[in-house]
Amino acid sequence: MIKLETINKTYQVGGSPLRALCDVSLQIEPGEYLSVMGPSGSGKSTLLNMIGLLDRPDSGRYWFDQVATEALSEERRAQLRGENIGFIFQSFHLINRLTAFENVELPMILAGQPVKQRRSAVADVMAMVGLSDRASHKPNQLSGGQLQRVAIARAIVMRPRLLLADEPTGNLDSHSGGEVIDVLEKLNEDGITLITVTHDQQLGDRARRHIRMVDGMIDSDHSSPIKGPNRKSAEINSSEIKSAATEDKKSDDATI
Amino acid sequence: MNFRDSSTWVFRALWMQRTRTLLTIIGFSIGIAAMVVLSALGEGLRVFVLNEFTQFGSHIIAVNPGKTETFGIGGLLNTTRPLSLSDATAISQMPNVEEVVPLVMGNAKVKYNQRARYTDVAGVGGAADKAWKLEIAQGRFLPTDDLQRARPLVVLGSKVKEELFAGINPVGRFVRIGSERYRVIGVVAPKGEFLGTDLDDMVFIPAGKGMQLFNRQSLMEIDIFFNPRSTSEAMADRISRLLIERHGFEDFTLTTQDQVLVTMDNILSILTFAGAGLGAISLLVGAVGITTILMITVTERTAEVGLLRALGGTTQTVRMLFLGEALVLGLIGGICGVLLVAFLLLLIYLFVPALPVALSPTIVVGALGISMLIGLLAGSQPAASAAKMTPIDALRAE
Amino acid sequence: MRLFDQLVFNRQLFMRHRVRTVLLLLAVSIGVASVILLTSLGEGARGYVDREFSALGNRILIVLPGRKETTGGGPPIYGASPRDLTLEDANALGRIPGVLAVAPIIAGTTTIAHSSRSREVITLGSTDAFFAVRQLNVGVGSLLSARARSEPLAVCVLGVKVKRELFGSRRALGQWVRVGDRRMRVIGVLEERGESLGLDMRDMLVIPVRTAEQLFDSPGLFRILLDIAPSADSDKIQEQTLRVIRKRHDGEEDVTVISQDSMLAAFDNILATLTMAIAAISSISLLVAGILIMNISLISVSQRRKEIGLLKAIGASSRHIKQLFIGESLLLISMGSALGISFAFALIFVFAGLWPSFPLQPPTWAVPAALLVAFGTGLVFSIMPAKRAAALDPVLALRGLQQ
Repeated sequence: MIKLETINKTYQVGGSPLRALCDVSLQIEPGEYLSVMGPSGSGKSTLLNMIGLLDRPDSGRYWFDQVATEALSEERRAQLRGENIGFIFQSFHLINRLTAFENVELPMILAGQPVKQRRSAVADVMAMVGLSDRASHKPNQLSGGQLQRVAIARAIVMRPRLLLADEPTGNLDSHSGGEVIDVLEKLNEDGITLITVTHDQQLGDRARRHIRMVDGMIDSDHSSPIKGPNRKSAEINSSEIKSAATEDKKSDDATI
Repeated sequence: MNFRDSSTWVFRALWMQRTRTLLTIIGFSIGIAAMVVLSALGEGLRVFVLNEFTQFGSHIIAVNPGKTETFGIGGLLNTTRPLSLSDATAISQMPNVEEVVPLVMGNAKVKYNQRARYTDVAGVGGAADKAWKLEIAQGRFLPTDDLQRARPLVVLGSKVKEELFAGINPVGRFVRIGSERYRVIGVVAPKGEFLGTDLDDMVFIPAGKGMQLFNRQSLMEIDIFFNPRSTSEAMADRISRLLIERHGFEDFTLTTQDQVLVTMDNILSILTFAGAGLGAISLLVGAVGITTILMITVTERTAEVGLLRALGGTTQTVRMLFLGEALVLGLIGGICGVLLVAFLLLLIYLFVPALPVALSPTIVVGALGISMLIGLLAGSQPAASAAKMTPIDALRAE
Repeated sequence: MRLFDQLVFNRQLFMRHRVRTVLLLLAVSIGVASVILLTSLGEGARGYVDREFSALGNRILIVLPGRKETTGGGPPIYGASPRDLTLEDANALGRIPGVLAVAPIIAGTTTIAHSSRSREVITLGSTDAFFAVRQLNVGVGSLLSARARSEPLAVCVLGVKVKRELFGSRRALGQWVRVGDRRMRVIGVLEERGESLGLDMRDMLVIPVRTAEQLFDSPGLFRILLDIAPSADSDKIQEQTLRVIRKRHDGEEDVTVISQDSMLAAFDNILATLTMAIAAISSISLLVAGILIMNISLISVSQRRKEIGLLKAIGASSRHIKQLFIGESLLLISMGSALGISFAFALIFVFAGLWPSFPLQPPTWAVPAALLVAFGTGLVFSIMPAKRAAALDPVLALRGLQQ
């Protein structure tokens, strides 16, 4: 689905150039679960932005679904994003004046979809992340974990094939963070390609394929043959996601 | 993004920052109000003056002695090219001519018994009352005698009648004008001013007597009223030819009502524009206000812009949303401005009813149109600014 | 806080928010500049009228035949009355003490022709005194002589435009022209001079008064101009004029006497009022600018909540904070006003260079008035935001929370 070929990106920092990505090449198949890790400044966020069509490489090619993205206009890239890619940010990026429901609705509004369709889609994904009862709350009335879950709902409301998460648990306490990751991994189970960027080792280890970046280059790229320590969570169904979202702490060290 | 969603978005965004939206609208509406009021004043004046001129109908041609090189005031001075009463008679016999009013004006002392008053004296023809829409309050107007055989009759203006006769009926009595006795045969109802001349402080005598009284060989003007079957140009042409035949040269000036109106209209339109221009200055500052506030807003909502792009919003969408905010600011500002104007005009109408103001639907629609246009222009830079941002820079700016 | 430090502080702030500062400066400068420019226009018109009147230098009384009794109405302009103003009347008036010169005027229109060219022209019949009173000089030849007072000489003085239309570039002096039904010799051509109070002397013809009498077959004078001594009492002379006329006209006071001073005063009043009205209207733009200042200040206060909390925490009092915010606004207004004033004067300077005759004269009160309004509205509109800033609770503010 994704093919990156010798991608280069340089930024001007102060007066001197900074090479964020150096001849990066990468292939990702649909349904994969990757984590991209590395020290700060290693280029992981830049890589994620490249993949998410948010940024353009200086040189190199990027094929998304066999489509050469460099040739596409800005408008077409936006369209591609809207239809195929969901974003989850460290700082949530929710709009404070809109309710949770309206925030989730936003990608569909941008795509010009009719009201009825939007209503049912949003209701569905809100249920999926266990926040149906919080739909009319505004961001200042929700906890961190709930905020990120709203963001996830927004990210998947258009049924994208790719989910990009940039430090999804960075602003959350460990309990909420756990909830969020569970949701993301469940979505991956359902077939969505998931890429997380993080410097939380524990979080990164959960992925099936680990990419490590140093100084703008891919240092290592290996897949773990077995699914990670949370193999069990792959079997949890939707209703259990909901209960996982309650205030009671569910023990993650269930015995395998 | 469909229209309903965009509007909801725009209104929500503006509502979220009510204070600044309100202040921006107030500033802009003051600007619009200033422009509209001043235009309304100018327009009111224009309409007022034009009405003054057209109250006598529009099929009028004036003939003055002397050619146009003399600024048109030639009629007031002596001349070597007289316009005569027989000219007036000849013109009155032309087809399509309804009335002909010969004119000679001056100033004289009118005496009745011990009372006297210096007043304007208009030497005219018997058709002057019909032509100039003078209503008779008592008696009748001058007779339509043969112009050359003028009798010493006089019709008094209302003010002159009051001063000389107080409550007595003057009809049938004799007054002295200059050194001659004139019989009063009528009194004109109060008419008021016409562009500065008090029509009530005037007496009307036959033109022939007027020429004698003021010792003039020429009429000052001949006003010709013709029926709509003929056009101004055709009429002017025929009169011109007649007079050339009688005088041997073209030693006169013809002015049609149309020409006068056009000149007047031009001058007054300039006034209206000047008024609008004055108001436009305030409007300009109001527009700067919209631009400023929107620029600040765009800067504050940079991350939001990035988010919209990340979620699939195109550059166009982002630009439209911010332009929408500007447009709404302008439109609401315009509406408030017009309401403010209506209120002001109401006050003016109540307290200074003499002041001519005209708020036509054209002005209102025009004002709203301009508000929206200016809103759009004011918002174009901020909107472009927002649209230009690459999603990645915008998101990072948090 | 020391003024200098405050200025430095402000400068940093303005640099940080360049766009809003620039736009705000623009708004204020537009307001100030427009007040100055527009009042300059009004004042310039006033100055123009003043100059035109005083170009005549001397003090003039104008006697017109006829009289209006309606108060507030204009003078009788028709120039026709049963009893004429005569030359003898004029001479009698000339004998009033305090009257330096008398210029009787007969006015009419007639044709002037030379070889194949002819045109209608306004013709004035007067004496040598006319030129002195109206301060006209010849460019070529001579003016009417004193003989013109009593003799019907067949001579004329041409206005420049009339000369050009009849003679082109050829010499007119000494040539014979046909005026009405008689021949006259050109003895002078007036020097080039534009309009003077509505009468374009270039487009006129001046002949002796007695000649005009014959030409128009009427002894009635159109006007009499009296040139009175600078030290003379104008009102008294007006009274005496009326007395003389009454005596000569069988007790009838059938004339109107206007003093040029009163005409000038009337014009002056109208224009001054107009100028002030324009000033008031263009000041509305400063009101709008003031609202913008308030808007931006409020935004600024909420954006700088943390900073204000910090300032308070390190010892700034409410008064300090208020001063800070009001000081900022005043500084912006000063800069905006300075820009507006510079722009306005630069424009006035350019205009004066390109079109010296165009009246653009800034009245002395324009700049102070504009500044007063600008600072006044700015002050009024920044008090509320300043108060709001000063009232912030430092602890909450530091936390970035709203009250």
